[in-house]
Amino acid sequence: MRVVIAEDNVLLASGLELLLAAKGFQVCAVAGDAPGLLAAVDEHRPDVVIVDVRLPPSFRDEGIRAALEARRRHDGLPVLVLSQYVEREYAGELLSDGRGGIGYLLKDRIGRVGEFVDAVRRVAAGGTAMDPEVISQLLVRRDEDPVSALTPRERQVLALMAEGHDNTAIGERLAITHNAVHKHVGNIFAKLGLSPDDRGHRRVLAVLTYLDRGR
Amino acid sequence: MRERWVACLRAAAYLLGALPTVFPGMSNRHRRRAARLLGVPAPVVHRKARRLRTDPAARREALWWLVHLVIGPPLALLTVLCVGNIPAALVAMTLWWAFPSDEPVTLLWGGVPVDGWGVALTVGPTQALALSALALWGLPPLARAHARLCLAMLSPTPAERLAERVEVLTRTRAEAVGAHGAELRRIERDLHDGVQARLVAVAMRLGLARESLTDVPGGAAGLVEEAHAGVEEAMAELRGVIRTIYPPILADRGLTGAMAALAARSGVPVTVHTGDLGQLPAAVETVAYFVVTEALANTTRHGRATQAEVRLTRTGDRLAVEVRDDGAGGADERRGTGIAGLRRRVLALDGTFRLTSPAGGPTVIRVELPCAS
Repeated sequence: MRVVIAEDNVLLASGLELLLAAKGFQVCAVAGDAPGLLAAVDEHRPDVVIVDVRLPPSFRDEGIRAALEARRRHDGLPVLVLSQYVEREYAGELLSDGRGGIGYLLKDRIGRVGEFVDAVRRVAAGGTAMDPEVISQLLVRRDEDPVSALTPRERQVLALMAEGHDNTAIGERLAITHNAVHKHVGNIFAKLGLSPDDRGHRRVLAVLTYLDRGR
Repeated sequence: MRERWVACLRAAAYLLGALPTVFPGMSNRHRRRAARLLGVPAPVVHRKARRLRTDPAARREALWWLVHLVIGPPLALLTVLCVGNIPAALVAMTLWWAFPSDEPVTLLWGGVPVDGWGVALTVGPTQALALSALALWGLPPLARAHARLCLAMLSPTPAERLAERVEVLTRTRAEAVGAHGAELRRIERDLHDGVQARLVAVAMRLGLARESLTDVPGGAAGLVEEAHAGVEEAMAELRGVIRTIYPPILADRGLTGAMAALAARSGVPVTVHTGDLGQLPAAVETVAYFVVTEALANTTRHGRATQAEVRLTRTGDRLAVEVRDDGAGGADERRGTGIAGLRRRVLALDGTFRLTSPAGGPTVIRVELPCAS
């Protein structure tokens, strides 16, 4: 799988390169800024792009803008955005085009190599990888919210769904059977009034949109 | 006696100095000379505009100039007459014979012609002694009186001094706030580029190490796992600390963008109104951000509110932050430390803080922060 990285911090860029190479990815290019990223994407047509939020020259949110621009230019190019902090606002912007293949994770998660690589693959395959912190920001709700009617286990399942995991992965994480997951998902969708037909990224979007409503 | 002579000479020099300083616009020189003579520190006057209409200091200086014009030259003349006639008396009493007899030297300001040793040795010493006595005992008090009058008229009044002090303090405080804000930004940036990045790099390598250690017997795998968990905790803690120092969203999106982000993560629907806020000192942005964060957190936690409204407006060099919710009200500052902490942060920036929360609501927090840049 071919990857382009945009990360200006040499230490992190080389670390990522090392890690991805060790996991069988092919890192085509490491860009230090947004124009460099767009040029590298044009040149290499990667399967997935990994972008740091803060890039030169102003070290603000260039990475988010570059990611959105790359997705506009290359028809929903899968993008995984990494940051030292997460804001639900940025997640909303990244998800706003309604297409799959988007990830938004804290840089802390890179150290969980297995999960991180899984997230990269999921995004490359058109799925979603939302940081648990984004989800917990979304789950701050007032008392009469239907979400508060969920059981603790159902909330766990809901959070994992929102992070972008499929039923198999949720089952593995929570050490429960596929059937149990299926039952929880059904209950959640019933309690929240969501359509049970949604699959894959559509399901993630439905859940995120639900959590995001009224804001 | 020697001190008296020194005092006399200083007084004479001071009084003679009244002549070359009769021109307007020499008030600073007057102040310095008078203060030196009296042995006191010279009053410091900050002039804003040399306009008589608006600046009381300029008015006082003009008035003093008039007074000095009237009393200064006569005092200088008196000094000349007094001091100058002492050597004149000595010359007349010893060298009277060297002057032509039809134009004899005189004593007592032309009153007594000196035409013989009798007159010379009686009137001469009399004049010298009398004038010396006058110079020694008369000039110093005269000079001091002039200097005191000068300082009294040219020093700022206590009210002016206070006003000046307030002005200086306001300016230096704004500077301190600006410097503080710049420092907050720098710390956030340094931590982001330095410590945070290094921790991530360490976590990456520990993660890789863990993977390759799975089939190694012994405690190494466990130790690496513990180290990895420790690094993750450190990263989470550091992220929390940075948020309380200078929220990164402020650095990335400014106050307006940060408000949108706060609204997005709030538990109740929030409407944000922000006008044109212009450039704000980072310290002011930070406090405004924390005010809204805390207010919205309280709204979600206690207020039983269904919606909240955040309004940021800048009028001149004041930023007003208002957070209003439709909750049950009854918020009490004495309960919990959040609001009290906010008030402290606001007051530290010379701002004002008002919380109104009658039972039944609504709860309104209004903060105003000076933001002269």
